[in-house]
Amino acid sequence: MSTLRTYEDIKEWKESEIHQHLSDMKSLNSFHDIVMLKVLDIAIERLDLGKPPCHFCWFIAGSGGRYEQGIVSDQDHGIVFESFSEENEHYFLQLGKEISDGMAIVGYPYCNGMIMSSNPLWCKSLEQWKEQLHMWMEDGSWKSIRNLQIFFDSRCLYGEEEYVRYLKMYIFDYQSKNPYLLQRLIENIKHIKKAINPLGQLIVMNKGEHYGSIDLKYSAFIPYVNAIRVLSIKEGLLKTSTEERMKELAKIDHLTPLMNKSIINFQVLLNYRLSLVKVIDYDDTHFLNVNQLNLAQKKQLKRILKDGQSIHQYVLNMIKKGDDYGV
Amino acid sequence: MFPYMKTLGNIITEKKEWKSMDVMVLMDSLWTMVGAILVIFMIGGFIMLEAGSTRMKNAGHIAGKTIFTFGLASLVFWAAGYAFIFGGDANFFVGMTDFFYSGEQQGDGLSTPVFFVFQTAFAGIAVTIALGGFAERAKFPVYIIFTILFGLIVYPVVAHWIWGGGWLSEHGKQDFAGSTVVHLTGAMGALAATILLKPRIGKYSKDGSVNNLAGHNQVYTALGVLILWVGWFGFNAGSTVAVADGFFGFVALNTNLAAAAGAVAATIISWLVLGKSDIPTILNGALAGLVAITASCAFVEPWAAVVIGLVAGFIVFYSVKFFDKIKVDDPIYALSVHGAAGIWGTLSTGFFATKELATTGSAGLFYGGGFGQLGVQALGVVTSGLFAFVVSFIILYVTKLVLGGLRVSEEEEIMGLDISEHGSYGYPEQMSAKAGE
Repeated sequence: MSTLRTYEDIKEWKESEIHQHLSDMKSLNSFHDIVMLKVLDIAIERLDLGKPPCHFCWFIAGSGGRYEQGIVSDQDHGIVFESFSEENEHYFLQLGKEISDGMAIVGYPYCNGMIMSSNPLWCKSLEQWKEQLHMWMEDGSWKSIRNLQIFFDSRCLYGEEEYVRYLKMYIFDYQSKNPYLLQRLIENIKHIKKAINPLGQLIVMNKGEHYGSIDLKYSAFIPYVNAIRVLSIKEGLLKTSTEERMKELAKIDHLTPLMNKSIINFQVLLNYRLSLVKVIDYDDTHFLNVNQLNLAQKKQLKRILKDGQSIHQYVLNMIKKGDDYGV
Repeated sequence: MFPYMKTLGNIITEKKEWKSMDVMVLMDSLWTMVGAILVIFMIGGFIMLEAGSTRMKNAGHIAGKTIFTFGLASLVFWAAGYAFIFGGDANFFVGMTDFFYSGEQQGDGLSTPVFFVFQTAFAGIAVTIALGGFAERAKFPVYIIFTILFGLIVYPVVAHWIWGGGWLSEHGKQDFAGSTVVHLTGAMGALAATILLKPRIGKYSKDGSVNNLAGHNQVYTALGVLILWVGWFGFNAGSTVAVADGFFGFVALNTNLAAAAGAVAATIISWLVLGKSDIPTILNGALAGLVAITASCAFVEPWAAVVIGLVAGFIVFYSVKFFDKIKVDDPIYALSVHGAAGIWGTLSTGFFATKELATTGSAGLFYGGGFGQLGVQALGVVTSGLFAFVVSFIILYVTKLVLGGLRVSEEEEIMGLDISEHGSYGYPEQMSAKAGE
């Protein structure tokens, strides 16, 4: 492994190794972590600006943050550095750009939403980050709240874990003083893609390259992921994986049965994605062709989709009414 | 066994009878049919107007839903709308015969089926105007529910009051082609909707300043206005439903003058106030002139039509500013064009109606009629407008409770209703590229 000197080397190594890590999501995501850390190493080396000028944390967000990356996924990451100075900012933005380019070469496409360390919005000092989070929560616009939710799924991949924890504690603190924030959060996640029609049939893509497939990301994963994230912010959970979050939430009496059911559903979904989705490029990793499912699998999938919609609806209603799990 | 067969038989017999019918009746029917076609074509104008005045991501939705709601409104009108307006055994609100209109001829005059189609077109225009207030943010099911209920319990009541022999027509309310019945009623539906839907994302900043969510194609909007302008000859001149004395030509003359004056007045006022002549204002001005003259086109002299159009052009400019200021987001200016100008148009006959032309009601204030007619007009505006607003508001409020909100989610609004409500874009190449942002 010490022979990995260029991004191309990493790409080659990754492609030859990844197939050994497809047994489960944990293994696959730990492998992605290792690959990304190698990219960071080479990025620092190639940057030619010397060692980092201060402590920092390089975090990944989105599906990576939640340990839910598929075989291919785009990059979502950011940097928190210790303290602001122009030199520090310059260094980490340059580093961010180097990382993004490197990851793109290795096989993590650039993020369309610009959630990358090369973007000044996602590369800030600890104090600036705190101000930005505050501003996002105060502002409450659709974009700000979306960014807040993306940040909330982040975890430190390299460096000062304490920074991300500190920033999340700030979110919890704000939320407890401004419960209204939860209302804005649910407004932000209302949209889900319907996957079952009133006749009880799966709604599949009726044209294009995903003909006959359902969009697992928007119709299956998103309802679970988003609903669970909002509950996690409400409950002040630091865990980032949806499954871990559900396990924590299951400790709350009124949520136990719902969470236990959802954990199993979610695991099945993750496995479907890993084993049945054919991957050609990033866009493909979410499309499941239902023709390859047998009758029992179809039935199971329909149930999981319905359960997903009902947990999503449950969380929306519960927060809208402001009651504490109907207690 | 097949009751409708008998009806068909009747129609065939009637057709034979027509051969010997008065040629004037046939001419009247033909002219009214031409009017109906022109008014139905106005739906095309509304598609262009609304799509052009809004953003690309909603264009396919706007075009498609307008066709759909006209279809739905036509069925509702056939089932009950026509019966409520023109049926017999009327109570205070509506008539109670002629549901599921069979196509039968009533009386010796104008072809009843032609009259029915003509009236269908008007009902369709009214609901299309109301739905304009929903633009860019309402869920598709809301369009369905509102189209049905507006077509059942809002439009027919006002139309019955004024055109169907109801209490306002007994007072001599003048509304020749529907400034109140069609335009004000539609606008009140739009007002209820804009209030309950709240402004589109990005229309107002947090500090309260107004942002311009510019429409994506001024050429579409202008072409829409022109289609409406042409269609309006069917709307107003067609409302003579007769060709005798060529009176429809006089109505057409007044209609054209008012539209022209509205466009010119709006150009001037925007140029004066803003420093530049504003295209959306010019287009609104022409429409406001048309809406205003709709009530009065048969009752006033040409010089008065010009004055009515000019005033409408000024009114629409300030009305748009007013609604922006009070934070009612009206994407396609339905409230100003159809509401404010509709009110002015209805009141205008109270000033300008001449003794000779006032076949309904009496002469206006400037023609020695005193305040009587003006009072009737004002009463008509207030009661009809209030009724349409309150009932529309209740319909939408209940719909909101039942559907858990009238609006699409924020994410759907941002991605656009083309994709969120219908699954494909009006502009696939442009929008798919943008969606990658």
